[in-house]
Formats: sequence, C-alpha cells, structure tokens
Amino acid sequence: MSLLEVKDLKVAYGHIEALKGISLSVEEGEVVAILGANGAGKTTFMRSLSGLLKPRSGTIQYDGHDIGKARADAIVGLGIAQSPEGRRVFGTLTVEENLMLGAYTRSRPEALETRKQVYELFPRLLERKAQMAGTLSGGEQQMLAIGRALMAKPRLLLLDEPSLGLAPIIVKGIFSALRDIRASGVTILVVEQNARMALKLADRGYVLEVGRIVHEDSAKALMASPEVQEAYLGKGH
Amino acid sequence: MKKLTSTWAGLLLWVLGLLLVPLFADNNWIFIMSYFAIYAVVSLSQDVVLGRAGMYDMGHAVYFGIGAYTTAILNTQYGVPILWTLPIAVVVSALFGALLSAPIVKLRGDYLLVATIGFNEIFHMALVNDVGGITGGPDGIYGIEAPSLFGHQIMSQGGIFVLNWILLGIVLLLMNNLENSRLGRVFRYLKEDELAATTLGVNARYYKILAFALGAGIAGAAGTLFTSLLQSVSPGAFVFTESVTLFAIVIVGGQASIPGVLLGAVLMFVVPQVFRDLAEYRYFVFGLAMIVIMVLRPQGILPRRRRLE
Repeated sequence: MSLLEVKDLKVAYGHIEALKGISLSVEEGEVVAILGANGAGKTTFMRSLSGLLKPRSGTIQYDGHDIGKARADAIVGLGIAQSPEGRRVFGTLTVEENLMLGAYTRSRPEALETRKQVYELFPRLLERKAQMAGTLSGGEQQMLAIGRALMAKPRLLLLDEPSLGLAPIIVKGIFSALRDIRASGVTILVVEQNARMALKLADRGYVLEVGRIVHEDSAKALMASPEVQEAYLGKGH
Repeated sequence: MKKLTSTWAGLLLWVLGLLLVPLFADNNWIFIMSYFAIYAVVSLSQDVVLGRAGMYDMGHAVYFGIGAYTTAILNTQYGVPILWTLPIAVVVSALFGALLSAPIVKLRGDYLLVATIGFNEIFHMALVNDVGGITGGPDGIYGIEAPSLFGHQIMSQGGIFVLNWILLGIVLLLMNNLENSRLGRVFRYLKEDELAATTLGVNARYYKILAFALGAGIAGAAGTLFTSLLQSVSPGAFVFTESVTLFAIVIVGGQASIPGVLLGAVLMFVVPQVFRDLAEYRYFVFGLAMIVIMVLRPQGILPRRRRLE
C-alpha cells in the first residue's frame, strides 16, 4: 500500500474549482515532484494535504488514515510536516526557537536529538542559531523552514517551492540537503516551478496544469519528454 | 538580568502602593487608585486577546459588563455576598468569551473586529432594553452591598482599595507567568503567523477561543470589583467607546507589554480623573496623542522587550 494515496481530489474556492480531480500516489521512501506553472494548483494541493483546505470531494489516504477531513494540527501528529510556500519562518524568534517550535508535537528530549541532526544537515543554522530568523538570507530561511519541518520527525515531508526566489547556487545547496534527507529515509513530496532541479532529485513526477494532472511518469522520462522540455525546461535543453 | 530587575521594581511599586495609599492618601486619591486597579485589570485582559493572541477584539467591554452585571444581579436578586460572586462572574464571563468567539475566531483581523463591535452593540441594547427583566434597563442596578470579608463589611474606601489592588497583583502575576509559559508562546505564534503555527501542529481554533475565554474571565473579575466600588451598574460603562478606549490603551501603551498596558491605563483612566476640569478634553488630547504615537512610535510607548537567552 502506498504511503499517500490521493483519489479524485477536488478543491474549490467558492465557485472556482482549483483542483479538478487529482489522483496520485507516493510510495514510502520515494521522492515525488509535482511540476506546474503559477496558478496550476500546486499550493492548493499542498494545503489540502496538510489540512489547511478542505476538499470538496475525493479522498486523501495516508498510512491507512483518511486525512481529507482531519484538522491541520492533527495531521502533523500523524507524521506529515511541511515547509510552506514562502517559508513562513517566525521573524522575531531566533533560529533555535523556530526549530524548537517545529517539534511542538514532540517531547523536549526527542526534539533536542532531532535538532542535532538538523544542525548537522544545515551547519549554517548552527552558526546562526541565536540570530533572529527575520535577519537571515532567503536561502538560510529556506533551510530553517525545512529544518523546522524535520523537527516534527515526519515520515512524509511536503515541500512547497523550496527554490522560490533563491539564487541558483543556493538552490543547488538546498537540493543537495534534500538528497541527504531522502537518504535518511524520509519520503518527500515536492512542488516546484524549477522543473530541472526537482526532476533531478525525484524518482517520479506529475505535471499539473490548471487543476488537472496532464503527465505522470518517471523523473527520467519526464526530463526527456518533448512537451515537458518545451513547457518547463526551456528550449535548447 | 534586566528582566529580573524590572520584575522586582514592579513588585516594590505594588507593595508600596498597597501600604502607602490607604495610609496617606485622601479619599479621592484612594478612589482613583481603586479605579485604576480595576481598569488596569481590564486593560491587561484586553491585552491577552489583542496584544498577545493578536485578535482585534473591539468589544471587550462586553465581558467587563457581563462580570459587573453578574455580580449586581446575584447580589441584589439572590443576596449572594459580593466576594462569592467573583468566581461566578469569572466563569460566566469566560463562558461568554468562549461562546461568542467560537463562531468568529476563524475570521481575518478586520472582519473579526467588525463582528466584535456587533457583539458590543447587541450587549448594550440588551442592557438598555432590560432583556429578561434583570438588567434594570437604562438606569441599571442600584443598592449593591459593600463586599464583606469574614462577616465584616468593607465599607471604607481604603478596604475596597486593598481588595482591588490585591486582584491587580494576582492578575499581574498571572500575566507574568503567561509571558513565560507555553500557552503565552502559543498565543505569540498564532499572532505572528497562524498558518505557519498550524502547519507545526498548533490547534489554532482551540487556542484562539481559549485566549478569548481567558481575557473575558479576567475582565469579568474586574467587573465584580467595578460593581462593588461604585455599588451600582448601568449600561453606560460598557458602551462601544469603552471598548475602543481599551483597544487604544493596548496599542498606544505597547502590545504584550505589562508596563506599557499599565501606562496606557494610567493615561486613559487616571489622568482624566485627576484633572477633572480637563476631562472633557480627554478624547481630544488622547486622540491627538494616539495619532502622534502611531506615527512616531507604532510599537507603543513602552513596547515589549525581547528577551534573548
């Protein structure tokens, strides 16, 4: 059985249907990328997985639980953590306080153990641990957002546009950390506009266009597909 | 270290006030200090909802009024001694805080603000129109007993003052604990970024209702003391403009800052009492002061100091 199984998910804002029946699955240990342009419904999809939006119809099965109607805070307890779009770190709290907040659902000794691992993964965060998160660079804030999500010790990590607004060299660093996270056994579902980086990391990918999945394949095949190249990778690739 | 000194300075001020005011001040001053204690408690309770949990509650006088009327009704209709009505007033106000806020806490800041104004207007109309025949209509309720302790009625202004000052002390202690507690931190996370807090596992709805209930309960306690100080209640003390004043105290004084909120309460409630002749100019002067402070110092006069460990 898949770790995450989404069937015919429809989500609407009032009369506007943002997701028009999405079905996908994520196996334990996999990295799955969802590609799509602005307005394709990527963030809407992520928010329904984390319980911030309630689906109009369809089901979301996670590890045998139907989480479609579960509260967002309860979903964290089940082992799904997310690094939200735009990073959303607490600017007036220090790096360390932000991290500890990520372990809100866990005990302090467990949190301290995970914090050590996060600092090993992102040594930059250790250097800046007493600094206000609001004064960090964009890349450091992204590391913090991912680190904070890891503090919940998730089985499934949701990443919403980790490359957003970052310089290419920083993006490379972030994706290399994601490879380490994957190696530690965490399943990752990543939503990205930067298709090249996402497909290099992922095992499989889905392409989302205005609320529908239009392609679904292995990452290699998507990378090679002329349509994907045309639309998401740019010509001359 | 700095934090510790300011806590001790506050404690010293509190003890000095408790000992010296009843001894040396005349009745007028004692009344003013009692009055201050009550409004300081209400302002601190407003701060729980507005300054700490970040919800634009502009109907906070409702909970103050519910506490005051609970005490007045229980005392005059059922002969319940004033101090016994205090816990009841706290519970009733807290319940109303939870019930009224439950359907609106999901609203965004400005929408929530308008909804709370609606509560205040309904509450005031209900009092004036003597709903249920228990509020006494526009005249309110008179002839409330003085509080009694161990069978002795506290008739003197000094006695009332001590009582109010003790409640203020308890609430200050509570606020200080809230500041350093997990609950206080959760309120701060919700204020700063509710979505981020939710994705980390905070049950936003529960804690926002809890903030309202806590703020309302504390305001209810102040209501009991208000009733016993004036020995009467009337709808005029719980109108919308009172809520606006409480809101302004927190914003002008400094959100989530105990000294800031206390200073705000002094400026808005004590100064006009001292300068009675100038009281008519209160809203003019304070209106002007609010504008100047918001432009020059939007974080408030005495903003919350960031504790760095």
